[in-house]
Amino acid sequence: MKKILSILMVLAAIVGLVACDKDGKDGRTEITFWHMFPVGSVPYAKVKKVVDNYNNSQEEYKVKATGFGFWDYWDKIDIAISSRTTPDLGLNTIDNVKYRANGKVLYNISELIEADKTDNNIDLSEFRDAHLENAKFEGELFAMPYSATTRVLYYNLDLFEEVGLTEADVPKTWSELKTIAKMFDKEKGGKIERLGFDPTYGQATYHGWLWQTGEDFFDENLNVTLNTQTHKDVLQWMIDFNKEYSVTQLSTFGESNQLLGTGPFASQRVAMIIEVDDLYINLEDAGATFRYGVAPIPVPDENGVRVNWGSGFSIEMYDNGKKNDEKKAGAYDFLKYLMSYETQQELSKATGWLMSHISAMKDLVKDDPIKKKLLEEVGYSVERRYVPYAPQWTAGDWQPFYTRATERQDSVEKVLADARAFYQEKKDNYERTNK
Amino acid sequence: MKERTNKKGKFGDIKKQENIAGYLFASPWILGILIFATFPMIASLFITFTKYDMISNPIWVGLANYKNLFFHDSIFWKSLWNTIYHVLISVPLGIVAGVILALLLNTEVKGMSLYRTLFYLPNVVSIVAMSLLWLWLFQPNLGIINEILAPLYKLFKMEPLRWYADAKTSKMTLIVMGLWTAGGSMVIYLAQMQDIPKSLYESADVDGAGWLTKTFKITIPLMTPSIFFNFVMGLIGGFQVFTLAYIMTSGGPNRSTYYYSYYLFDKMMTDRNMGEASAMAWVLLLIVLVITVLALRLNKYVFYLGEED
Repeated sequence: MKKILSILMVLAAIVGLVACDKDGKDGRTEITFWHMFPVGSVPYAKVKKVVDNYNNSQEEYKVKATGFGFWDYWDKIDIAISSRTTPDLGLNTIDNVKYRANGKVLYNISELIEADKTDNNIDLSEFRDAHLENAKFEGELFAMPYSATTRVLYYNLDLFEEVGLTEADVPKTWSELKTIAKMFDKEKGGKIERLGFDPTYGQATYHGWLWQTGEDFFDENLNVTLNTQTHKDVLQWMIDFNKEYSVTQLSTFGESNQLLGTGPFASQRVAMIIEVDDLYINLEDAGATFRYGVAPIPVPDENGVRVNWGSGFSIEMYDNGKKNDEKKAGAYDFLKYLMSYETQQELSKATGWLMSHISAMKDLVKDDPIKKKLLEEVGYSVERRYVPYAPQWTAGDWQPFYTRATERQDSVEKVLADARAFYQEKKDNYERTNK
Repeated sequence: MKERTNKKGKFGDIKKQENIAGYLFASPWILGILIFATFPMIASLFITFTKYDMISNPIWVGLANYKNLFFHDSIFWKSLWNTIYHVLISVPLGIVAGVILALLLNTEVKGMSLYRTLFYLPNVVSIVAMSLLWLWLFQPNLGIINEILAPLYKLFKMEPLRWYADAKTSKMTLIVMGLWTAGGSMVIYLAQMQDIPKSLYESADVDGAGWLTKTFKITIPLMTPSIFFNFVMGLIGGFQVFTLAYIMTSGGPNRSTYYYSYYLFDKMMTDRNMGEASAMAWVLLLIVLVITVLALRLNKYVFYLGEED
């Protein structure tokens, strides 16, 4: 009798577990979704509400959302992708969708959109072509643009007023930027107290300035360039911008900004800075006591290209190779919900992020002049190109060369020649094992 | 005769049962090592011969990863040199610091256990917290170390050192910081010091030997087993140096603190080149193995108390 009871209990447990795994407690297919707002963060409850609204709107699927801290998120999702233990939906960087699509870990969203005959299908005309292009691999969509990051020039209107300038004087070109920036510089006892602008501060990058000249690190065949006069001129311009100060003076000023913990713009130690749209949220949250505005990043005086580095997120449906059509259908249904006009607005309100849905964002920010300008700049944002032999070409690969140049240890010619040789070596090594 | 055989059989049974029990007790560990260590090691050896981006299936490329590392990768050699430099200086320096600390803490002073605890404490502090603390102490423009040294800089009319922010001093800065944990080896030295028979010191006293003579003729020779142990462990650990550079310098400036393990990590996590990363891991294993075998030859200079000659 005991044996029979034990067997029955084990069977019941197995059935229960299987049922839980497949359908959740209420018989609905469970869809997992990972995002970047952990329990305890301000947006968590609002994002949860967005998910709850979906769960309450239908009875077929139940989304289980999990939020991780921003930096933890990348380790988690990377390892999950490698071990095929990903959630059904998750966020990722849009500039390397091709890597994951090529690795066959993403569902083809173009196919899903095409096969879907419902009224609430994803309307691709509501998303920018440039963003969609980043989410494509071999002409097919393997992700959807989720958020839309942009970089702009923030300027402090109180400081502008202090030096007799108005909003009409916000610089539009590099030479204007330098002339105006110098009006704010303050030095006391050999120590910098305030700078007008520094082209290496905040989210300003060498590749960002380079793009404004129409150049890049690589040509269309991903051969490393970095060898034209423009490459040298742009880097030299960055270094020379504050050349009246020594490296020690500049580094002391930069380090004391770090010490303040608020950033140089928030502490009014720089009058202008290049930053992402997030700075607006941070300034508002911190209750900034000064007036400020945003504008397009100034461009080179001649043939300047209005462009800024985006670095937005994609949302992806992960294929773990389990061939679970129910989950796939559920994940797509939830993706459609997330990409809809209303949800994109709700997500933007919850997170403060600019989302990728064009009309949803236009309508949402129409009464907020700063967000309106930020959104306008999204239209000029460009993503880094995916370079398989140097996926982090703007980060760790470039940083040692950049530091050498900005700390004036070597000439720009030497730095760029060394950087070029470095990328070339990476390319050659990559090609040797990827014939 | 029969009785003797039975006895033998009984003894054999007990031995067998003991063996089974032994293996059963050890089985979780054996299974653990097979599943979590041996299998990944064999898998990583296989991966060294493949192109593997951590998503797609590995593709066989033979020795291409090793060829790339040895003949076409300048950063590989730079990171290896950085690591060797670190080992060459940090291991002897760590031993000297540990021994000096142990000698100081082996004296009869009031509150000695408190001092011992204080010197050991850094070993239980998180390395991340410790690195951030040192980051501010060594901060070139605003750090307290340069503030303290300011009169010296003035006296010698020199520019303040930029410590980890200067490629010329960054490696040494990290090495000096590593000495912060010398208390770990100090505990081992101290334990061995206290094992040295008092009679040896008493005989030396009778012969009129001073503190220095006793230290160099009795204490240090009898501490060689623990010095040797810390030397070998230091070599193995030194080749795996990573965390300090990762947190404090990001491998800079100008890749001066870009250690071997850091480069291996970047190969895997940023370049997604698991083939070359695994090849680097196996090369590191071989380097450490060869150096450890060579180091073990020094064992003949180690004096074990109670051993003949």
